Formats: sequence, C-alpha cells, structure tokens
Amino acid sequence: MKFAYYPGCAVHSSAPEYGLSCKAISSILGIELIEIPKWNCCSSIDAVYANQPLTSIGLAARNLSLAENTKMDIIVLCGACLLTLSRANKMLHEDSELKEKVNMLLTNAGLNYNGSIKVRHYLDVLTNDVGFSKVSEHVKVPLKGLKVAPYYGCLLTRPPGVTNFDDPEHPKSMDKLIEALGGQSIKYEEKCCGASLVLTDELVMMEMTKRSLLSAKNAGADCIIAACPLCQFNLDAKQSDIQSHYDIKIDLPVLYFTQLIGIAFGLSPKELGLDKNCVSPKRLLKQFQNA
Amino acid sequence: MSKEVRIGVYICHCGGNISDTVDIAKVKEAVKNFKAVKIAETYEYMCSNPGQQMIEDDITKHKLNRVVVASCSPRMHLDTFRRVLRRADLNPYFLEMTNIREQCSWVHDSKEKATEKAISLIRGAVERAYYLEPLIPSTMPVKKDVLVIGGGIAGINASIELADKGYKVYLVERSPSIGGHMAQLSKTFPTFDCSACILTPKMVYTSQHPNIKIIDMAEPIAVKGSPGNYKVSIKVRPRFVDKGKCISCGVCADKCPVKKPSKYEEGLKEEKAIYLPFQQAIPNAYVIDKEHCLYFTKGVCKICQRFCKGNAINFDQKEEIIELHVGAIIACTGYDQIDPSPFGQYSFALHPDIITNLQFERLMLQGLHRPSNGKPPQKVAFILCVGSRCSENSTKGVEYCCKIGCMNAIKHSLLLQKAFPEAEPWIFYTDIRAHGKGYEEFYAKARDHNVRFIRGRAAEVVPNGDGLLVKAEDTLLGMQIEEPFDLVVLSPAIIPSAGTQELAQMLGVDLGHDAFFLERHHKLRPVDSKREGIYLTGCALGPKDVRETTSESMACASKVATFVGQGEISVSPEIAYVNIDKCNKCGNCIKACPVSAIESIPQGVEINSISCVGCGVCVPSCPEKAIDLRHCNDAQLTAQIHGICEDSGTSPRIIAFLENKAAYGSMDLAGQSRLSYPDNIRIIGVPSTGRVSSRHLLHAFASGADGIIFIEGDDSAFKDNQLREHVIQLKKELGAYGIESLRLVSTTTTLPQCDKVIDLFTTFNERISKIGRLLEEKRAKIRKALEND
Amino acid sequence: MKTETIHEITPKIQDSSFFTEVRKIAERTNFMDCMQCGVCSGSCPARFAMDFSPMQIIKMIQLGLKNIVLSSSTIWICAQCQTCLTRCPREVNIPLLMSSLKNIAIRENIPCKIELKPKFHKTFSEIIKKYGRMHEPELKIKLIKKTSPQDVFHNATLALRLLRKGKIKLLPPKTDQIPDILVLFETASKEEQK
Repeated sequence: MKFAYYPGCAVHSSAPEYGLSCKAISSILGIELIEIPKWNCCSSIDAVYANQPLTSIGLAARNLSLAENTKMDIIVLCGACLLTLSRANKMLHEDSELKEKVNMLLTNAGLNYNGSIKVRHYLDVLTNDVGFSKVSEHVKVPLKGLKVAPYYGCLLTRPPGVTNFDDPEHPKSMDKLIEALGGQSIKYEEKCCGASLVLTDELVMMEMTKRSLLSAKNAGADCIIAACPLCQFNLDAKQSDIQSHYDIKIDLPVLYFTQLIGIAFGLSPKELGLDKNCVSPKRLLKQFQNA
Repeated sequence: MSKEVRIGVYICHCGGNISDTVDIAKVKEAVKNFKAVKIAETYEYMCSNPGQQMIEDDITKHKLNRVVVASCSPRMHLDTFRRVLRRADLNPYFLEMTNIREQCSWVHDSKEKATEKAISLIRGAVERAYYLEPLIPSTMPVKKDVLVIGGGIAGINASIELADKGYKVYLVERSPSIGGHMAQLSKTFPTFDCSACILTPKMVYTSQHPNIKIIDMAEPIAVKGSPGNYKVSIKVRPRFVDKGKCISCGVCADKCPVKKPSKYEEGLKEEKAIYLPFQQAIPNAYVIDKEHCLYFTKGVCKICQRFCKGNAINFDQKEEIIELHVGAIIACTGYDQIDPSPFGQYSFALHPDIITNLQFERLMLQGLHRPSNGKPPQKVAFILCVGSRCSENSTKGVEYCCKIGCMNAIKHSLLLQKAFPEAEPWIFYTDIRAHGKGYEEFYAKARDHNVRFIRGRAAEVVPNGDGLLVKAEDTLLGMQIEEPFDLVVLSPAIIPSAGTQELAQMLGVDLGHDAFFLERHHKLRPVDSKREGIYLTGCALGPKDVRETTSESMACASKVATFVGQGEISVSPEIAYVNIDKCNKCGNCIKACPVSAIESIPQGVEINSISCVGCGVCVPSCPEKAIDLRHCNDAQLTAQIHGICEDSGTSPRIIAFLENKAAYGSMDLAGQSRLSYPDNIRIIGVPSTGRVSSRHLLHAFASGADGIIFIEGDDSAFKDNQLREHVIQLKKELGAYGIESLRLVSTTTTLPQCDKVIDLFTTFNERISKIGRLLEEKRAKIRKALEND
Repeated sequence: MKTETIHEITPKIQDSSFFTEVRKIAERTNFMDCMQCGVCSGSCPARFAMDFSPMQIIKMIQLGLKNIVLSSSTIWICAQCQTCLTRCPREVNIPLLMSSLKNIAIRENIPCKIELKPKFHKTFSEIIKKYGRMHEPELKIKLIKKTSPQDVFHNATLALRLLRKGKIKLLPPKTDQIPDILVLFETASKEEQK
C-alpha cells in the first residue's frame, strides 16, 4: 500500500523519533510512504484561521491538491494535521462556493483540488488496512507483562463524522494494537493535554496534562503511548516541569506508538530514536532489548 | 340526456340581506333568459315554508327537472332545499345553489357590481345545472368486529370499551402476554398507584370478557379489503406449551438447565428457556424460547416435558396463520426505549451500576439495590434526555422530548428516599417538564424533599473505583461539577416499537417525521389515521403517560364504535368513479390518491367507495380521462367556469377555486364578518383544488378569466406539498399557451383565517390589474386548441 | 465565581449587530440551534480556566453582549479538543465558533486578558508566510516574556535539553515554495477584505 506521506512540521523538528520509528516499521509492514513534495504547514487547526480563515483553508487545500496530483490518499502522523486537513477536505466537499474560492487561490500555483482523496492517520491505516493480525506476525519480542496506557489524543477520533475510524468516546484501536504486540492495555481516564496552550498558557496546559499522567500512573501503567507530536511533547518533554510544579513523581516514559511497535518488532533503539524521548525509556527497554 | 332540461331559478331577498345590495328585479330579468330556464322567481325568504312550497309546487306545475337557488351559502341550507326536491319527487342532486349573500351582497359595496356578480354566479350555476345527474347514496354493510393490534394498556382499554359496548374484539399481541410496558412498572406518577394493581384487574377482565378474544404470540402479516370490511392475516407463533393444559406450576422452569436474560426484568435477572413472562401474565401459561432451548438448538434435553404433570408441553406445535374479518382496526403497538450504548459518554453497558429508568423500575420491585454488589444505593444520579432533544439530522438521537423522563426521575427520587431515607437522589436535567394534572405539585414535593436538581445536561459518566463519577456543568451556578455516585439511572429517548414501519406500510397509513404513526389531523382528528376504518392510539402515536394513554384509547374506542356501530355506512355518491374500458393501468391515480382509496385489480383499478373522500385529485392524474368525479364532473365544472367568465366586461376577471370545507368556509366567515374584497373575484367551490386540471384553467382563460386563485383547506386530504407540486405543473402547462405564471397563485388556509385569504385576494387583484388582462390573441389561440374538447 | 459576572443587560452594552455579524461569519456552526443544555460546558477539559462557560458565550452572542464575549478568556483558552461538538445534541460546532470569535476579536483589536494569545496567532501566521512551514524556535522566542528572568531561564533549560536530543532545528526550514505561499497569503487576504 502506497500513501502520500504528509509528515507535518513537528516530525521535521521536535518529533524526529516519530518520523524515524514510523519509517522503520513501515518498511516491515509494507506501507510505502512517499513524501508529498513541497508540502506546506497544514495551518494547525485555528492557528492561522483565527487571523485569516480563508488563508488557513487555502493552506490545507494546497496539500490536498498536491496529494491529489499523486493520486494517493494522504497519511499523517499528527492529530492536528489530521483534523485540519480532514476538516478542510469536508468543508470543500460540502460548500461549492468555498471550493471555488479556494481553488482560485490555488490556481496561482498551478494547483486545483477536485475532492478525490482522503486524509488518514497512520493508526487508521494500521487498524483498517494492515490489520492487527499482520502486525502480530512481525512481533519478535512480545511485550509480555508490559502495562501500556494508550493516549489517543483528542483529534484522532473527534469530532465524529470527520475521521470515522474509531469511536470518539471509547476508542479501541490503540488498545487492540497493544494487545497485538503482546502487551497489556491499561484502562485509565484520558483527558485533553491542552495542545498549543503549552506556548501561551503553560499553567493551564500543565494542569490538563497532569490529570492524564496521574490517572495513567495510578492505574499502574509502565508507559504511555501517543499518536500525536503535540500530545507527546506535553506528556513527555513537559513531564519534569509538571513534576516540579506540583511536587509529584510520575516518571512515566511516553513513547510514540510506532516506537512501541518497533520495540516489539525487535528493532534497535537507534532506529527508533529512543534516545530522543525526554523521560528515559531505559528501564523499560532493559526488559525487552539486549542492548 | 334524453329529456329536455327544464331549469327553475329562485332568487332570495333574504329579508334585505341580499336585496339591499343586489338588485333582485334586475337579476330576475337577466336570469329568465338563460339557457333552459323555464321560470325565474324571487321571494323574501326562500328557506321559509312558503318559499319552499313555491319551489315544490313549481317543480310539479312546470315539470322542472333542475332547480337553482340563489341565496345564502349552501353550508347553511343545502339540505333544506334538497329535501324540497325530494318532496317533489325530484332527485335531490338536481339542486344547484349559488352563494349571493356571504360571498356577494355581504362583501361588496357597489350595488351595480354586486348585481353584476350575482348574475354571473347564477349564470354559472345554470350552466352547471344543465349537466347535473341524479345520484343515489348507497350503503355498505360494515362488519362489527374490531381488530386491536397491541396488548398494552392502550389496547386493553380500547378493547374493554368496545367489548362493553357489545362489539367483538380480537386483541392481537406479539409477546406471550398482554400488559405491555405498564406491566413492568412499579408505581405510577404522581399518585404512586401501584401499576400492577391498576393494570391486572383490567387484564383479567379482558381475558374473561366474552366479547374479547386474546390472540397472543401473534402479529398481522397482511391487510386486505376496505373500510368496514378488512381481511387481516395473522401469524401466530408456537408457544410449544398448550395453554389449556398448562397450570403454571413452574416445575418445568425449575428443571430447565438453560438460563437466559429475562426481557421482563430488562436483563437484570435471568430466567429459564421455558418461562412464564411474569407472575400476572395473561394468558397465564409458560412458553419456550426457541432460541435458547436445548431441544431446538441442539436436539437434546426435553426435561421439561418429562416433568410436566399436565402434559402441556408440545414441541411439535407449528406456526399458524389465521384470517380475521373485521370492520375496523386499531393500531396501538406502543413504544421502545432507545439503546443508550451509542451515547458513549454515559458508558452504558460498561458498568453494572449504570442502568435505564425502566431497569430502575424493575429494581424497585426486586428490592432496590446496586446491581454490582447488591448493597443499598446511597447516592443516585438520574440523567435525563439521553438521546432526546437532538438535532433534526442527528444520526443517533431523536428530535422530540420523551415526555415522561422528568416525572419518572422525580418519582424515582421520592421512592428512593422512601426506601432509604438517607439516600441522596440527584437529577441532572435541561428542563423539568411537569405538564400534567398534579405534576407541578409532584415536582414541588421533590424540591421539598431536598432532591438535588442540577440544571445541566450530564456530560459524562466514568467508573470511579467502586462507584461512578458524573460530570456536568451546573449552568445556574456557572460551575463545572464532578460528583461520585453509586448508581446512575439514564432516561433514554422513547422510540416507536420495533416493526412500526412495516406495520404502517401494511395498513396503508403514514408515519410522521418522528417515525411514530401519523394522525389524520393534529387537533381535529387525533386518533384517526389517514385511512378510513383504521385508528391509532397510545404511544404508537408518540410518547405519553398512562393517564393520557387511557383517555386517548377510550376516545379511540368511541370513534371506532361510531364507525362500525351502525352496521352499515352510508357512502356519499359524490365520489370518483372509473370507466374501466378506458383504463390503461398506468397506476397514476393510485399514486395520486391521498387516502389510498384506489387499488389495482386485474382489469384496471378499483376505487373503494367508502375510502374515497371525493376530493377528485385522481381525475387530472389520469392520462386517458378514465376517471371522473360525480357531482363535480368535467362537464359540470367546465360549464360553470364558462358561465361565470362570460360577460366579463372590461375589468379583469379572477376565478378563485376554493376547497369546499375550510377554504369555502373561511370566505363565508368573511361574509358574516362583513369584510370587503374586490368584486371581480368569483368563487367556485370544489371538493379539492387538486381536482382542477389545466384544461379547466384553459377554459377559464378562454372564456374571459385573467387570473386564478387556488385555496385549499389546511386539513384537506390534499396536502400543502402536493398542492405546491400541482400548481408548479399547472403553471408549466399554462405557460405553453403564453399564460404568465404570475396569473396563478395558491395557498392553504384554516377556516378562521379569512383575513389571510382576503389579503391574498387584494394583492393578487392588484397584481393582475398591473399586468393587465390576458391578450386577446392568446385567448383566441386557447379557444382554438379547446375546440376539440 | 469569577469577576465581571454581574451585568445589567442594557442597550449600553448590547450590540444588536453583533449577533448578525457572528451569524454571518460563523454560519456553518449553527450556534442558533443551541438550547443551552450545558453539556459542552460540562465536558470541557479547559473549563476550569475559563471565566465564562462555552454555553454562556453562546447565550451572550444571542443577546449581543459583544465586549464581554470578545474579551472573555474562554475563546482564547479553548484547546480545540472537539469534545463539546461530539456531545452537543444540536451539533453546534463550538470549536469553530470560538475560532471565528477570535477572528473578530483580532480584527477589532479587542484587548485580550491573555496577552500571549493574539501574539501566538499573529506570529504563527507570519512564520508560515515566511517559510511555508513552522519554525518552532522562532515562534517560541517571540512568545517568551523577555522582561521576566524566570521565564527566560525556565525556557532556556528546556531548550537546552531538547537541543541535546536533536529536537530543535535552529535553522529555519529550507524550502523553495516560498513565492507560492506568499502569493496564497496575499490573494487570500485580498479576498477576505471584500
């Protein structure tokens, strides 16, 4: 299976381990990722929209039309990219006047969007196209006894009717993935991490992220897996700030789900960028790796 | 018409009411020269005895065979003058009345114009009278038996009312016992009457009533026939237990090795594969669940049969089809509750202590406890509106309010406190609806008992250790709250019971936008369906409580009794008829008929004379002109149009076709209220504006009309959207003759809205005056085209 | 209860054109269908930091309380988690409504309680306009309170850690689609002026 790969801005800067681990497992699973040439920032939900709504949709649509030229569906790694691109796709389908306006913006670059492609998250492709039994087939190091808390994030499954690949209230795909890798998925209460509030309202974001971290910890998780760079950053990179601010101990490694798959596939920590995660996964790795 | 047509015209002064405005003498002078008029007379009060006698004598003296009475509205004295004709041995349908009071002298100020209009209207009547035919109302025998589909409280009440009146009732119930959901309730609001205590006596009475035959395990599979004579096929599923022999001793259930969730207990308890639906079940006999019984699934066991003392168990029982012949049918199939599982934020089915309000009813009868550990609940959350009050295009929920959620939650709160005085009930609501008798006082009682009301639709329910956490915004305080509870009770939306759509199709009745059965009229005919002889009641029509169901089902029984009671029904002769030789079996009429009165038969189509309401909508739909309408046939209508449009003078002539009941009635009301409107508007009453075809309109334009108005009654069988489509089509056809689409306008009205109609008359008249009279060339062209008509 | 919650609804603070303005710009959110049930506010994970709940914001739009709505913290704190839209029985697109309100507030220069927020949006747009992709260091630096030594130090420590792990790209993205993006921005902005 081939996809028009849309890495998103974070994968190229603050989330290199996500991109690395993703590429590593994709070649094993037979998912061909062909990076969209000259892709631009999706416009990150309403980061641009708040200032310039039409520009925001135009930015998203530019990527849609670039992918359409390759005749492949887009595959993304980030929740914000997923919502931004999918939502723009939906708006253009439903509002012909808007579509006309946006295509007018794109003609200057020699582009046009007809509405023929879909936007999908990597986890969606894994769940529905590859299938967990195939994933299990490639498991060399079953994660026996590892208690993993799946952090879906807000934008993979919400709002309903946009991505349509898992239940918005009780999603199951990541839980099933953990089980397919031989691990044990932990039930805990997941809440929004606060996303971009990390840049503008750090205190609010920390309160929000803390809730999920504590809940996962209290439920007995050994680690958390995430499917979005912004979620992962707030849970991982900001974990020490949260610990010191609230004077609590959490110490939960936060991996990308692709990294966890890579570990189960027996890939090396280097291939998976495991040295880049802020909260060290060393203890965890000792169980399952020979390094 | 072999005989010479001899018309007598009688013009009433109405004691000045007409003669003060209309020059009666002038009218008489003009009228006596009309085609086939042999005599024209006037009188002060035509409806008085001498007036009537004059007509009666004239009929004999002058050998009249048509009578035109120009007076008040036919809605006043149509029957009076028909009786005159009868007394003179003349068929009463040879009478034609012209309204020169309510729709002429009372609404126009100019004497000259009013007189001119009166003459025009009478000319129309005379021309129409020429084509009148003798008609005889017929009667049809009606089977006095009634079929009631649905054995809940609505069906039980209706059956009892009818049976007590002496009618034979077949009470068909899908499940093994009658009683419906009411049999599952503990106490009812607001009186705390024990549900079983008020229901079971009725159930027993029903089972013992000589006029009621309960057919359980049964549902209809086909409905044929016509009002007064319905033939219904009923499929009866096997119980595998002989009702006559079963003594309900329960030994079979004791021995049965298979357990399954109990439907009656809403899944909170288990029962065996052979079970008694509930203690007070009627019929009181056991039944085998085929899907769980080991004999039917694996071919083994049969232990119940071995131990049955009465030898009542029969694994060979087969499905049966029985045919019922009834005069009327009542559909009262009740409701279901929406499954709360799709509303994932409430985590229903993920924790045993999250239940529905119906499950709470069962818990109350089992001894109130937490399903998870059997302990008494100390803090209970009641969450209202799960799946209710959603958007129109919601994929999960329904738009309407469930009506009983608020009262149930209040009732449950008070009963919880009765059982455990220290318990804390919390109700999470959006609006408290306490609409019925005693309901507001009941709500006040709850507040008095310190039931915690949180105004805010609950956001989510999450497991929290041993208990549950409910999150919501208290919108009155403007605060987000998180409260722990040990039991959460959801109030799911009420939906029509499974199979409602199929049953509606079978019965030929409509469903509303809310998927419940649709009544004929919201206010005027709340228990009738669109089909004659088929009635609707109970929650099948929409959510309601027991009191409302009881009143409504009694009302329904009363209407049914009226319908079947006389043993025969008089069929108005003013109905559609088909010339079967011309029928090409295209089926257009079947589709067009708004009351499903036309059926396909091998030779063509058959119009049911009882179902037909005589609206005439089928007539224009026939491409072969095989259908016509009695007492408003094409010849009569066309002649009337000609008569009214002739001599239109210089001012534009507007013809308003008014549906005979509400629309015509509203213009009579305008007259009674002495309102004014332009005098160049001439009204023609029709059974329905759907009866008027483009051909008639072309005749109108050819004869001098310049504008057409259609007004249909709001409660007519011919609905708003059908009218709109009809008008669009007419405009298209008229457009081919160069008639501007602005020359035709339509609207619907209720009887009291005469102001609305007058507004339309006035503005339309202005519009026609502005665009001017129809060009003479166009009229000539139309006249030529109609020459072959 | 937060401050500024007691108001008299007088014509002095009502702006009847505000409702029309929001309706035009946020037509596809169908906020008029709101029945004030409060499920959005009950679900909102950021509610604790808001002065008004999302439900109250919608009510205030309907009453034309422009200044209160546009100067609330609510519209800026919204994390766009989409939970409210998922649970709203009338399917009101509250996250999109919040974005649209931000748009009006920015256009009309309404002072924001949280000063970093409008700056965030402005800076984000500028960076995309320049490079076509995000350059995180530039964004972060512009949002640091340079006058506060604690803020600078706190961020510097984190930055160092991330730098060591190779998670900060100091150099801006090298792409050759800049003329493309610039034109898109300019054409769109012209279109939006209309």
